[in-house]
Amino acid sequence: MTEVFGRRPFLVLALLAAALLVVPFLPLNDYVLHILTVFLIFSVFATGWNLTLGILGLKTLGHHAFFAIGAYLSAITAYYGGVSPWLTVWVGALSAAAAGVFIGFPILRIRSMPHVAIVTLAFAEIVRLVFSNLKDITRGELGFWGIPPFDPITVGDMTVRFGIGNAVGSFALAAVFFLAVHLALLLLLTSRTGLTFLAIRDSETAAESLGIRLSAWKLFAFGVSAAVVGLSGAVYAHYVMILTPTSTAGPEMLITLLAMIIVGGVGRFFGPIAGALLLTVLSEVLREFGDFRMLLYGLVIIVFVFVAPHGIAGLRLGRLRKAERAEPGTAGAT
Amino acid sequence: MLRLENIDVHYGATQVLWDVSIEVGEGEMVAVMGPNGSGKSTVLKAAMGLKKPSSGRVVLDGEELQGRSATVRPRRGMSIVLERRRLFPRMSVRENIMLGGYARPSAEAHRSFDWVLDLLPEIRPHLDATAGKLSGGQQQMVAIARGLMARPRVLLMDEPFLGLSPAMVKNVFAIMKMINGEGVAILFNEQNAKLSFAMSHRGYLLESGRVVLSGSGEEMLEHPEVKRVYLGVREAVS
Amino acid sequence: MSVAGFLELVINGLISGSIYALIGSGIALIYGTTRVLNFAHGELLMIAGYLVFFFAVTLGWNVFLASLLTLVLVGAIGALIQRVTIAPLLAREDWAFRVIAATIGLSIFLQSGAQLVFGERFQSVPYFFRGVLVLGDLRMPWQRIAIFLIALAIMAVCALILYRTQLGRIVRATAQDAEAALAVGIPSGLVHTSVFVISAVLAGAGAILLSPLISVNPWMGISYLLKGFAVVILGGLGSFGGAVAAGFLLGLIESFSVGFAPTEWRDVIAFTFLIAVIWVRPNGLFSGREA
Repeated sequence: MTEVFGRRPFLVLALLAAALLVVPFLPLNDYVLHILTVFLIFSVFATGWNLTLGILGLKTLGHHAFFAIGAYLSAITAYYGGVSPWLTVWVGALSAAAAGVFIGFPILRIRSMPHVAIVTLAFAEIVRLVFSNLKDITRGELGFWGIPPFDPITVGDMTVRFGIGNAVGSFALAAVFFLAVHLALLLLLTSRTGLTFLAIRDSETAAESLGIRLSAWKLFAFGVSAAVVGLSGAVYAHYVMILTPTSTAGPEMLITLLAMIIVGGVGRFFGPIAGALLLTVLSEVLREFGDFRMLLYGLVIIVFVFVAPHGIAGLRLGRLRKAERAEPGTAGAT
Repeated sequence: MLRLENIDVHYGATQVLWDVSIEVGEGEMVAVMGPNGSGKSTVLKAAMGLKKPSSGRVVLDGEELQGRSATVRPRRGMSIVLERRRLFPRMSVRENIMLGGYARPSAEAHRSFDWVLDLLPEIRPHLDATAGKLSGGQQQMVAIARGLMARPRVLLMDEPFLGLSPAMVKNVFAIMKMINGEGVAILFNEQNAKLSFAMSHRGYLLESGRVVLSGSGEEMLEHPEVKRVYLGVREAVS
Repeated sequence: MSVAGFLELVINGLISGSIYALIGSGIALIYGTTRVLNFAHGELLMIAGYLVFFFAVTLGWNVFLASLLTLVLVGAIGALIQRVTIAPLLAREDWAFRVIAATIGLSIFLQSGAQLVFGERFQSVPYFFRGVLVLGDLRMPWQRIAIFLIALAIMAVCALILYRTQLGRIVRATAQDAEAALAVGIPSGLVHTSVFVISAVLAGAGAILLSPLISVNPWMGISYLLKGFAVVILGGLGSFGGAVAAGFLLGLIESFSVGFAPTEWRDVIAFTFLIAVIWVRPNGLFSGREA
């Protein structure tokens, strides 16, 4: 438990909330707020994926498909249906969850890491190509632009606007979204449900012998994970207001998110947040060297896999527990 | 000639062997007997280098083997017949046996092949069969043949009687006697006390990962503890 | 559909299928023997593409000499990848996922590296074989037919190595029971490196055969890697023969899909087929026949 959540997860979340609350009062320009907004959205994406990747121990590689599904379905419903993004984001999340269950069902019956990895990756490729090919609806790689931002909220005589160009409003929305999702997941994961997830990760056979219905649980976790990622995609769509299939469901998205999770710590609840912050900031700092971004991400992944396999979240723990290195040959292939 | 000294073995964080010391002399037949889960298979795997002990030494003819790869053992005259035969199931019997001589130069391997087939002529008709399609008893023959290809001076046999019919057990028993008669020392493990100790020069009793008793075969059979717990229980069951 | 049109679809399917089979059988060989999924396998194609372009076009060497040297080099690079990035991870906990992550990192690193070094120019190697085969209404460039025949020959050589040589025997023994192989003294390190070399050569051969037809670019490995993976799953994970058969099947499916759907849906159909198969037969179409 403490390995996944740390000692006081709710306190950490409260501290994060406090930090986010301070941000709008700091003398930051819109550009910095934009970067922080992107960081918050990607944190939710990373946390959602980490749910299957690390916490459930199911090595899926296609969660960018759910991000794209959430983003595009919410954007399409809002753009063509004229429905408020406040409602359509849920359409995006639910569609992603449905897709998660659809793709989760066949692979969950097989306890084979290669099957899970390859089938989810192939699914992401299908999703990218479908959004790319449905040019009449999405305009393909030219980009689906004109996506409406979230409707403004008026409190008293103050109106808060959202979408790109409205940095403070967008940041506040992303912060609320970030905190709400993490709080909800933390409540879910520290409940009996969460314990079941961890039991499954630690030993499928043991969990099964305790009467845990493996497939049903995994499917549920997969659905939740896809829904969270889909929701982050939808929020992203109405923030940046333009989408392309490759920027949402392409290989760079996979690499970026994988790097965030690995740097932060696979299977640590707060790990991906740290990873997302570090890599979002780093890639902005190195913005002039745009061509080197993927080179850097590739290198970062390799280095962390070798040097700090539990990410930054695991660095401190790792030192204490050097003694119990796993022995060669005991790790299973599946 | 083969000595395991103060071996500790861990699987992950769980320790399965504590301070196990076992010795096999030149040409001896030595049994490691113990109930299920006592760690007797791990003793053989540690000796063979298939499982790395966390501490202790494995010494063959004065040469320290601990820390060296399993692949050096066949070159030093040590081989193993693994539990449940573990043949290469989709390869022919001939290929299986020849691979047993992998560590030896090809001319020697071919000589060993003839020697092994002379010892175990019942394999000859099945040489071109697919190993996985043979019966359990036939597979055990092939597994023994594969183990002998390295011309070992000490042969480890992990549960050689497991899953065999009573007639086949007798057969394998006779083969072990014969191999031992050729001067090959044998270290084997087995759950059945009578079977273990009646056929061996010396024996060890392993319980929960510790050697609790050792002595000559007769001493072990006559030991009140062995009689009470292992032979007694066995007679009550049968 | 005319007979010639039908034949053309079959032949085109067999041609792209032979490339999928080359790539997939290499991935299957590695997985079957070492339980490793190498996500940088596609970059071996890319590297081979650049190498053959460099030797045959930039230096203007004879294509066969250029191809031979490319295969040697790409095999060495395969061995290097296995030794440096994969072997050190195998002894650690959770190695299966770590290898996947590390090779994904390596893959994107090599792609971006190639982009920085060679830019985004798309370069093609000239046809190795001139002329067109004309059979009635059917017209097929010899280059394309050569792809199929050479790929078949290469896979036959590979099968001979696997089933008729000592190297093949120790590879199959390790695939069938790694511990028993270790116990008879087969060094797993040698076996692992060997299968990486073989599969790198298979991928390199695929890239050389493709290089006149598609352009050599930093991303050319991506789609072939995905197809190779699909083929490995369809063929029954780790089965060399299954991967070869599934490679041809996937090629044919893609070829015929063009008959009833626009070309840009071809990959959607191929991957949907994969997912449909997983729904019905999770262990693949040709399971049960491994190395």
